[in-house]
Amino acid sequence: MTGPFAVVSLLVLLAGLAVAIYRQWRQNRTLRAQLEAIATDLEHLQQSCARLVPAGVLQHLIADGVKSGIDAAAPERKVVTVLFADLVGSTAMSDRLEPAVLARVLNGYFQRMSDAIHEHRGHVAHFLGDGIVAYFGALQPNPWQSSDAVRAALAMRAALREYNVELGREGLPLLALGIGIDRGVGLVGLVGSRERMEYDFVGRTVNVAARVQTLTRIHQADILVTEALRTELDARFVLVPMPAEFVKGIAEPVVTYAVREGPSAPAPSTEEAGAR
Amino acid sequence: MNGVLQQVEWESPLVEPFPDPALQSYARRRWGVPNPMIAYFASVPWMARAVIDLHPEYGLLMHLDQTVADLIVLVVSQENSCRFCYAAVRALLWAQGMSWARIERMEQDLTRADLPPRTMAAVAFGRSQSRSGPAGARAARETLRRSGLGIEEMKEIAFTAALTDFNNRAHTIPAIPAYPVESMPDRFYVRLLRPLLGLIVKRHRYRGRPTALDPAPPYAYGRLVESYAGSPIGAILARTLAEMWVSPHLTRRCKLLMLAVIARGLGCEVCAPEVNEALRGEGLKESILAQVLTHLDAPELDPIERLLVPFARETIWYEPAPLQRRARMLRDRLSGPQLLEAIGVASLANGLCRMGAAVLNQ
Repeated sequence: MTGPFAVVSLLVLLAGLAVAIYRQWRQNRTLRAQLEAIATDLEHLQQSCARLVPAGVLQHLIADGVKSGIDAAAPERKVVTVLFADLVGSTAMSDRLEPAVLARVLNGYFQRMSDAIHEHRGHVAHFLGDGIVAYFGALQPNPWQSSDAVRAALAMRAALREYNVELGREGLPLLALGIGIDRGVGLVGLVGSRERMEYDFVGRTVNVAARVQTLTRIHQADILVTEALRTELDARFVLVPMPAEFVKGIAEPVVTYAVREGPSAPAPSTEEAGAR
Repeated sequence: MNGVLQQVEWESPLVEPFPDPALQSYARRRWGVPNPMIAYFASVPWMARAVIDLHPEYGLLMHLDQTVADLIVLVVSQENSCRFCYAAVRALLWAQGMSWARIERMEQDLTRADLPPRTMAAVAFGRSQSRSGPAGARAARETLRRSGLGIEEMKEIAFTAALTDFNNRAHTIPAIPAYPVESMPDRFYVRLLRPLLGLIVKRHRYRGRPTALDPAPPYAYGRLVESYAGSPIGAILARTLAEMWVSPHLTRRCKLLMLAVIARGLGCEVCAPEVNEALRGEGLKESILAQVLTHLDAPELDPIERLLVPFARETIWYEPAPLQRRARMLRDRLSGPQLLEAIGVASLANGLCRMGAAVLNQ
């Protein structure tokens, strides 16, 4: 009696153990799959973040945790080129169009402008209403940041021209753009409150670019650059000097240049450039 | 992780493969296994040899732990989004007997804080060099020093990161097909032959031995090569550079201009003076060099230089697909070997410049 009972008990025990092991194995497999999915999501997130924050900062945030990462990414002084773009007459347009149509038109505009900026190594920092603030040279060292910014502005002009053809075909109002560009030293880094931080550039240059953008209406030019930026450009950019104007918040009149064309001809020799 | 990299856009190859039995046999002798992809580099022999020789598994490292070197290759390839190199290093680890689960654990380890401090520091260095370049070199070197790594190990870490930077660009820019490498471990016959493959790879893998340095290469990077005197790294770099300088597809001045642009773009204070000095030796006026470095163009440049100077700049910080598209635009205006040599020069300069800043800028 004891023999068969013991055998049956052992078999039941073994079966129970086998079931438990199988269940554990399945649970482990599910957990591993979840872990892998989370790891992939995190990797995606890290890659997306890399577009918003410089790699070094992101590295600190990942390796040291957010608090020490922020400490390590304390703002530093850098020369950055700021491009400020704004739609002309957007208020009137927003009154005329249905919200859904307006959103579609604006999203198409933002996408094309962001592509043009990204293509020329710029970093779109903010969308302010229908305005765009982009930095060149803030994320990674870029000694060619000024010409990149002007090339981006020219690409934005060309992209808007193409977009207007599409809008015209649909009977929608055409868009017009004003762009101001300045270059200067400022603080670059993570700034903000405990709840919300942004990787940003703080300095006079941002204000100047924004004010110069407002001058595009006065000078009837879609792209204006400051004197500080002009000196960095090569002579193949076709620039037209504009009369100096006072703008809000800046004591001295601001000298600007309208950008007509980008380089197409061979670069002039150093002597020619000096004579310019 | 692999899944994420497989989503990286990748163009069709920019260069044609060109079967070269001598080169294939050289690769087989060095690695133990054939490498069909080497045919893509055959039209520029120095580059093909560099792709074969600049590999941390085969006789170049004397001090650095091999697993740490593998992790650096993995992390730098990840940072540079090089699908080809990332798949290749995974396949190599798999062939050597590592299970996919272990490889995946290792990839997850790259972001975990429970690795030994020396390994963590080496991985952080690899990341920093590909992301920040010379600007982050000082801090990254300090982290290595604090973790207790010796100077020779630090130099080998810098070299491993640099050769991965070279290999990543050399495979990414011409869009060398990644899929055959990615799918290789899934093939039935490869799985069947895996133990044999692993055995061959392990047998061919060997540690470096002290190697005398022939005269350091002229023109540029001489100081960097000399700093590796006595190591097989110094000898292999000297030979690679010497072969690059004599290669006939691009002029020496054109190569130097590309190097100068990359040094400026990276903000490298170590390589730039040496490269600029070499350019002056080529008869380039200071004012013309200044103009090239400021505006990436000058009327005194020849048509090929005017194409390749801005192209060199594109290779410094990049995303694979846009860079491949830009390189494709050069294909109609350059011969295949010229384009490939330009890619090789830019790739090598990106690696060496980062390495120079890490090793020489003490």
